[in-house]
Amino acid sequence: MSDDNIFDVQNVTLRFGGVVSLNDVSLQQRRGEILAVIGPNGAGKTSLFNSLTGVYQPQEGSITFVGRDNKPLSIIGMKAHRVSAAGVARTFQASRMFSALTAFENVKIGAESHRGIGVIGAMVRGPHTRRGERESDERTVELLDFVGLRERANTISASLSYGDRRRLEIARGLATNPQVLLLDEPAAGTNPSEKLELTELIRKVRDERGVSILLIEHDMKLVMSLAERLYVLNFGGVIAQGTPEEIRANEAVIDAYLGSTAHETEERS
Amino acid sequence: MKDLWQNHHVRRLFSLIGALAVLAVMTGPSGSAADPTEGFRGSFMEHTSFLGLFTTNRWVLFVFFALVMWGVWSGWELRGGQIRQVVAHTLEMPKELSRRRPVRWGLLLALLLLALFLPHIISDPFWQAAMVEQIAVYVLLATGLNVVVGFAGLLDLGFVAFYAIGAYATAWVTGALPTAPPFHIHFSPFVAIPVAIGIAMLAGIVLGAPTLRLRGDYLAIVTLGFGEIITIFANNLYGITGGAEGTHPIPHPAIDLGPIHYDWGLKPVPYYYLTLIFVVIFLVAFTLLEHSRVGRAWTAIREDEVAAESVGINPLKYKVMAFAIGASTAGFAGVITASQSNNIFPSSFTLQFSINILVLVIFGGMGSIAGVVLGAIIIQTGSMYLLHTPPAGYQPQDLYIYLGALLIVMMIFRPVGVLPSRRRRREINLAEAGEGHMNEVLTGDTP
Repeated sequence: MSDDNIFDVQNVTLRFGGVVSLNDVSLQQRRGEILAVIGPNGAGKTSLFNSLTGVYQPQEGSITFVGRDNKPLSIIGMKAHRVSAAGVARTFQASRMFSALTAFENVKIGAESHRGIGVIGAMVRGPHTRRGERESDERTVELLDFVGLRERANTISASLSYGDRRRLEIARGLATNPQVLLLDEPAAGTNPSEKLELTELIRKVRDERGVSILLIEHDMKLVMSLAERLYVLNFGGVIAQGTPEEIRANEAVIDAYLGSTAHETEERS
Repeated sequence: MKDLWQNHHVRRLFSLIGALAVLAVMTGPSGSAADPTEGFRGSFMEHTSFLGLFTTNRWVLFVFFALVMWGVWSGWELRGGQIRQVVAHTLEMPKELSRRRPVRWGLLLALLLLALFLPHIISDPFWQAAMVEQIAVYVLLATGLNVVVGFAGLLDLGFVAFYAIGAYATAWVTGALPTAPPFHIHFSPFVAIPVAIGIAMLAGIVLGAPTLRLRGDYLAIVTLGFGEIITIFANNLYGITGGAEGTHPIPHPAIDLGPIHYDWGLKPVPYYYLTLIFVVIFLVAFTLLEHSRVGRAWTAIREDEVAAESVGINPLKYKVMAFAIGASTAGFAGVITASQSNNIFPSSFTLQFSINILVLVIFGGMGSIAGVVLGAIIIQTGSMYLLHTPPAGYQPQDLYIYLGALLIVMMIFRPVGVLPSRRRRREINLAEAGEGHMNEVLTGDTP
């Protein structure tokens, strides 16, 4: 195991009652890497994301995140907002915007969430509060520029196209100043040209901002062109890992995806 | 003909005439066994005075009302289309908005001047007292509950508890309870202001911290229980609160700084100004709060708690904060009531009271400060008017029939409230349309 891992997941098992959602999953992500998790529906990809962000609490195993000051943190048992503060940002499968707010406000909420609360300051609008507002505004504009949504800043987020919503979610995630960005099916529901732009954007996030990327995606073309390494999940367990070339040639992966039913039933009986 | 019927303006006109015909029969004379149709005939044919101007048949009057309502309603809708276009336009260009700012400030200034001169315009002692006890205090309570219900989206059915805590804290500090006041000194009610606000806020935090993990209905039930507990405590802890007989007299506030001496005494007008000052302070503070980081965090939590947490917002912390702010506002309202009305009784702090405040918030428009203030003024003035000059056959307890009917009508025709906040209106429209019909939402053409 190299020292430069940003995520180190060891033997994580997550159960809901009798249903095993993640079974002994181990995964390492290097700092600055674009890593993808693929697998058929119900393989446990989103459960893995939820475990990594503090939404679910796995019963067994350990998740270590190495944050800003190179101090390893154990994610299990941490609340979701603390995980965010530590430097893990995420997007959601069906994008979850604050739909009644504008694109600008959405990003700004991300940009200012890690400041102190300061109710009294907010009620009298003191100099400290005003400075904070200005800084958040500047940061928001910069991020909207970065994802290419500056012209849509004052649009209600619910009225943005799917592609724009994905970008907005990425901007909101980046606003929290993360070390790693978790993208849950960023290309779902987008058209081919939007897909291409998203691929570019994701690469740009890593290259220009140095944010590691962990993504779940069904679109094989996108995954294979973007990811440097992949993990394949099936029935809650890791069945393969490696570079795109290795995965493409992997028997178990082809089985899981193409569903060689004959082979499977044979194995079970 | 069929096309005409498809037009919703036409259909609306007929529904209104129908509804008012029913109203005409309901309010008309009753029939008798000898002539069963007399009531029905009389409802439409009987002569009646038209606003005291001239007499005419009843049906003319009701058709006229239907036409006026139809005109206002349909006209509003047609004009609304234009207004929405303007709003969409200004949203794209924030500079446009700032050009309209002087208008808004002018309006606010005019309203403030009106509020300042109101006691000189209205000299009827009944209304002067009502302005303080029933309107200003309720405005304060409604803006406080608005922070909890409107901003943070938490249903609080026990708001009265904090009002009671504020009132009893005042009684305690001024030495009007059987319990000894702090340090055995009988303070002025002014000292009670920070004490009552502090105690109410503490009560909000103590109640909120463990229970705000609950969602929706569960929270409503817990707060309901809390409201009842406080009332029962006030009623039964005879040695501490004075029980059902109420407290000893609470002194009126007075300023005594050498040459400056002022006693608020019994008259309502000085209390009106005292309350007005604080209402303005609270309104300004809450408006700034709404447009601050805190207000945005509340909106984020209200809309999608999971997403809010994923960007680092701690929902529990912000919810407790909303609860504490709402509670301290109610606590302050309690100080005003206690110091003005001299005695306080547990029987004034009922569930009915909590619901009453909630009605003001819902009627005015949850989350909209201006709406809630307007809602409180309209409903409280209306109910005071009914009390002051009751129509024939009106009993005070009938009030809730009218309030209930008003709420039902509101929920059907304008669920967002009289003067909704922009964010809330969008949320409700989005919820009604479902996430898939965004264009309809934005053009306002929701069915």
